[in-house]
Amino acid sequence: MATLEDTLTTKRTPLYHLHQANQPNATGWQHLGGYAIKAGQDETQVEPTTGAPACGLTDLSALARVGLRGKKAATILSENHYQLPAAPNQALRQEDGSLVAKLSASEYLLLGSFADDGERISRDELAWQAAERAHRLPDAYLLPRQDTHAWLALTGAHASDVMAKLCGVDLSPKAFAPGHVAQTSVARANAIIINASQADLSCLYLLVDSASACYFWPILLDAMQEFEGKELSIMALRHHHPA
Amino acid sequence: MNRHVSPENIQTMPTRLPAPMGSLINRQQPITFQFEGTNYHGVEGDTLASALIANGRYLLSRSFKYHRPRGPLTMAGQDANTLVQLPDEPNVLADTHPLSQGLAVTGQNYSGSLDHDSDMKLGKFSKFMPVGFYYRSFYKPKGAWKFWESLIRKKAGLGRYDLNATGSYHDKAYLFADVVVVGSGPAGLKAALTAAEGGAKVLLVEQQSQLGGALTYARFDDAGVRAGQVREALIPAVEAHANIHVLCKATCNGWFTDNFLPVIQGTRMYKVRAQECIVAAGAFDQPAIFRNNDLPGVMLASAAQRLIRHYAVRPGKRAVVLTGNDDGYLAALDLHEQGIEVAALVDMRAGPVDSRLTQAINQHGIPLHVEHTVFEALHDKTLHHVTGVDVRRITRRGEVADERLTLECDLLCMTAGYMPMYQLLCQAGGKLTYNDDAAEFSLSNLPKHLYVAGSVNGLHDLDQVLQDGVIAGTQALQSLALPAAEAAPLTGAPKQVNFPWPIFAHPKGKEFVDFDEDLQIRDIINATRHGYRDVQLVKRFSTVGMGPSQGRHSALPTARLVADATDRTVSETGVTTARPPFTAETLSHLAGRSFDPFRVTPLHQRHLQLGAKMMPAGDWQRPAFYPSATNGRLERDRCIQEEALHVREKVGLIDVSTLGGIEVRGPDAAEFVNRIYTFGFLKQPVGRTRYAAMANEQGVVVDDGVSCRLGENHFYVTATTSGLARVYQSMLQWNAQWRLDVDIANVTSAYAAVNVAGPLSRKVLEKVCTEVDLSPEAFPYLELREGKAGEAPARLLRVGFVGELGYELHVPSRYGEYLWDLLMKAGEEFGIRPFGVEAQRLLRLEKGHVIIGQDTDGMSHPAEIGMSWAVNRKKPFFVGRRAVDILDEQPAKRRLVGFRLPATSAKPLEGHLVLEGSDITGNVTSCEYSPSQDAIIGLAYAGADKATPGSHITIRVEGGDEVNAEVVKLPFYDANNSRQEM
Repeated sequence: MATLEDTLTTKRTPLYHLHQANQPNATGWQHLGGYAIKAGQDETQVEPTTGAPACGLTDLSALARVGLRGKKAATILSENHYQLPAAPNQALRQEDGSLVAKLSASEYLLLGSFADDGERISRDELAWQAAERAHRLPDAYLLPRQDTHAWLALTGAHASDVMAKLCGVDLSPKAFAPGHVAQTSVARANAIIINASQADLSCLYLLVDSASACYFWPILLDAMQEFEGKELSIMALRHHHPA
Repeated sequence: MNRHVSPENIQTMPTRLPAPMGSLINRQQPITFQFEGTNYHGVEGDTLASALIANGRYLLSRSFKYHRPRGPLTMAGQDANTLVQLPDEPNVLADTHPLSQGLAVTGQNYSGSLDHDSDMKLGKFSKFMPVGFYYRSFYKPKGAWKFWESLIRKKAGLGRYDLNATGSYHDKAYLFADVVVVGSGPAGLKAALTAAEGGAKVLLVEQQSQLGGALTYARFDDAGVRAGQVREALIPAVEAHANIHVLCKATCNGWFTDNFLPVIQGTRMYKVRAQECIVAAGAFDQPAIFRNNDLPGVMLASAAQRLIRHYAVRPGKRAVVLTGNDDGYLAALDLHEQGIEVAALVDMRAGPVDSRLTQAINQHGIPLHVEHTVFEALHDKTLHHVTGVDVRRITRRGEVADERLTLECDLLCMTAGYMPMYQLLCQAGGKLTYNDDAAEFSLSNLPKHLYVAGSVNGLHDLDQVLQDGVIAGTQALQSLALPAAEAAPLTGAPKQVNFPWPIFAHPKGKEFVDFDEDLQIRDIINATRHGYRDVQLVKRFSTVGMGPSQGRHSALPTARLVADATDRTVSETGVTTARPPFTAETLSHLAGRSFDPFRVTPLHQRHLQLGAKMMPAGDWQRPAFYPSATNGRLERDRCIQEEALHVREKVGLIDVSTLGGIEVRGPDAAEFVNRIYTFGFLKQPVGRTRYAAMANEQGVVVDDGVSCRLGENHFYVTATTSGLARVYQSMLQWNAQWRLDVDIANVTSAYAAVNVAGPLSRKVLEKVCTEVDLSPEAFPYLELREGKAGEAPARLLRVGFVGELGYELHVPSRYGEYLWDLLMKAGEEFGIRPFGVEAQRLLRLEKGHVIIGQDTDGMSHPAEIGMSWAVNRKKPFFVGRRAVDILDEQPAKRRLVGFRLPATSAKPLEGHLVLEGSDITGNVTSCEYSPSQDAIIGLAYAGADKATPGSHITIRVEGGDEVNAEVVKLPFYDANNSRQEM
């Protein structure tokens, strides 16, 4: 395990200080996407019988994400080999594990994959930024989702039960299947919720205003208490959620 | 209060009825508890009331008005007779509150002790305290109320609230279902199963701790086997069904449009959303109205059956049963079977509908008196318990013969009929109609997707009830477009259960119609004689139905009495409006777990580490000021002045990340910005910033910011911290009409921003932004550049809000903390210090800059606040243009002016009034002591004639004193702007 000093860079995730305060040990940090992240005690937070994580909350904010919208957004994404959801408020897992959510008729949210530490999305974003500066990205507008939104993952069988304490939308698996997207209010603040469940792991992604991340984190942990929910490291989640 | 039960003085463990009685208790788990200082035994599963009755203790509370002894009436939490005081909670229903080890409980609403309440003498004066006497007695002679008030207040209210109690954790959660079924009696169980088997996701809500409703305590046949058979057939099937989610000990406390239902369970309120709702909530057993019908030991027949079957408690030794229906016969059989001597079954009718019941009663040797009633319940001088009954023959409706039969008993069970559990249904718009033949209310006019089943639907025969559940479940399935077999219609006539007039006035009164409010027959009739003919007015005048039980037992007799007294039908009289909540709910349930969103900037931790005093700004947390450089304390005025002077003399750093940031991009970006803001922006050069004020359609200035043109088709505009949401929403709304080819993105959280301000700010930046030429010639005032601050990509804006050379740096928020650290380190040699929002407000005040929202209100237009310069008159349109033009042509009524007072003067506060004689002409909007001016300076609205520099305005300050301030030309500081443009 690396020390915080070893891993600290010029960039911070919105919840960096909260994690730092909860991680008194100097070690237990590692690099992801240019950020220092808490590696965590993975073994203790995974249920040994099923192999699936218990009700867990993970901060994925170090992984790359970007938004693109405009009349040409779909074309640009397709040209870059992204498969697009058919309708708004749907999300589609890509072959490399990244995920594309369609938020409106012409708006997309791209979430990076564990498999490449979000490298593909980061690389594409840089290319699009350069194109935008050179006016070679007509009718498409980049949205700096990496900075506007924190990315949290709520995992385990009780994910929708936890959300029922915070959100008025029915997020139970029957009503909100994998690939569904809800843009709604959670605990009286805006959030994008994506059902990113795979195989044996229920998983809801929450994209929340980065300035409100410090508000959301304890609110979620509190709601998870009755399900014995715990903070789960990215490493533990990655193990069970390879995408 | 002692919460621990001491071992001494514990009553001996009471005996219980043998199994299978006692479905809710665990006899193997004894519990000791305390009531009124005496220690008792109970068992797990007991309620406080069941355990006390098992111990022979019936007197649990005192009535509200006359302090009469009261004991359990319903054993179902439907009456106020069992309200007791817990150490930290008043008004707890003893008949539903679960017993726990060491529980220490007292009675409430008494003087002296519960058993010897000196306030009971009030009952002797009941003739002098008719309904409405409060309203008519204490206001004369003038001033009398002051005398009476303290006495009445001492007597008012029930229970004591523990002001030191700590709140417990309450929360809320949503629940979603295709079908919600309220009530798990036979109809509810059948409806739930029918719906679930058809594929619907069902939520079954049961108020008690076990499923079954009346099946768990009532008897449905003379042999007493039917309830158990139905239970065994339905309950395991419901519990095992994957489509049914059961909530026990849960109360559906209201019905709101589209089947939005608050359901309270424990410390949680569920907000249930259901497509279809089936109310199978049952019906309330109704008391008969006769003298002393409120004595402890007088209870509903169903209450006695609950005590027997739920808690294995023998409710008495010698019982009399008063009935108006066949269920009283079945209750008498229950009592007899459990070894309770039934001294008499008194039937107000000519006999039972089911003649087999007479035979069964006779077989068991139970004396039967038909066409008789209990005319009075007898008692000893303490009134602590019923000791007997005075039974009379009924001669006419509500009248009895003089001949009396006196019977000794310690238990009087009564069942005069049923009232449908109408509350939820009436909240949904259901209409109650009285059927004179059945002497019963029925419900109609229900909205779509709401169904009713079982006894609440006027059905009391078990087979009909079960079939009604199937019908309701089928209707719900059909509405959901799920496959459903056609339900067979109901067969047979409905069972008559209500005796038409179970009301027997006694010359000495005390026949209670409403137990909660101690209202007797004459109180209701007198109300009508006072002219209150409408039942709603009767309610308000007499308070009938306004107590904790909300008319569950008083609504029907009140309707009958009012109808009779006003020569109308019961249907015409009706009952009072049922509103949520159905049962009392605590404020903590309503509040739940509170959500109070807040936002912090990427630099928040640095402010905390520096010991800043934080303050809210909209939903953001911002540093107000930092500890004093001289003494390290958070002394507001000192800190603000130190920070302001430091910016004037050296260099300061402030976090401005909370400023709204909006990207406007696209071919029509310039046209869009030009329409939204009052200034001209079409010709704004790329690389320049421009002040941007926004008006609404009424010409009122609603926000301002800076427009930065980053490219031909790319603007980055800022908005005020608290105005951003409104500005962004307004932009989207306008462009929905205009259809300009732009993309509007709120990127506030995407950027961390700081303002480096002060004469040394350029020197600091030169060490950080090495790739940008910061010289005044290359980067003059109001220009903007894109470059790097250290490693971070940055937008640099030359700004002058605080009136000094200054730069705003906007970097992606991930780099916010890095930028702060970089600047603080680079500025070390120049003495850089952070400054907070309060110092910034002082500095901008010295420059005469207006803060929208602080120095403006809902009427402020550009000319009023000296911002006509920010309005472009040449362009054809901007939002609010027409209104601004009209307002400009009106005579000016007020102006925002700068004023100055000597440093030694009393300092006006924001909001203090500006006066002209006795007229209010304006108010102070900003005011602070200015160290650079050594004077108190401020902005205020004043009459337009006072806007000329040199005029004086009168301001009323704290304590009502008035100060005379000089109106001065703005700005107060650096009039030629040489410092900000250096």
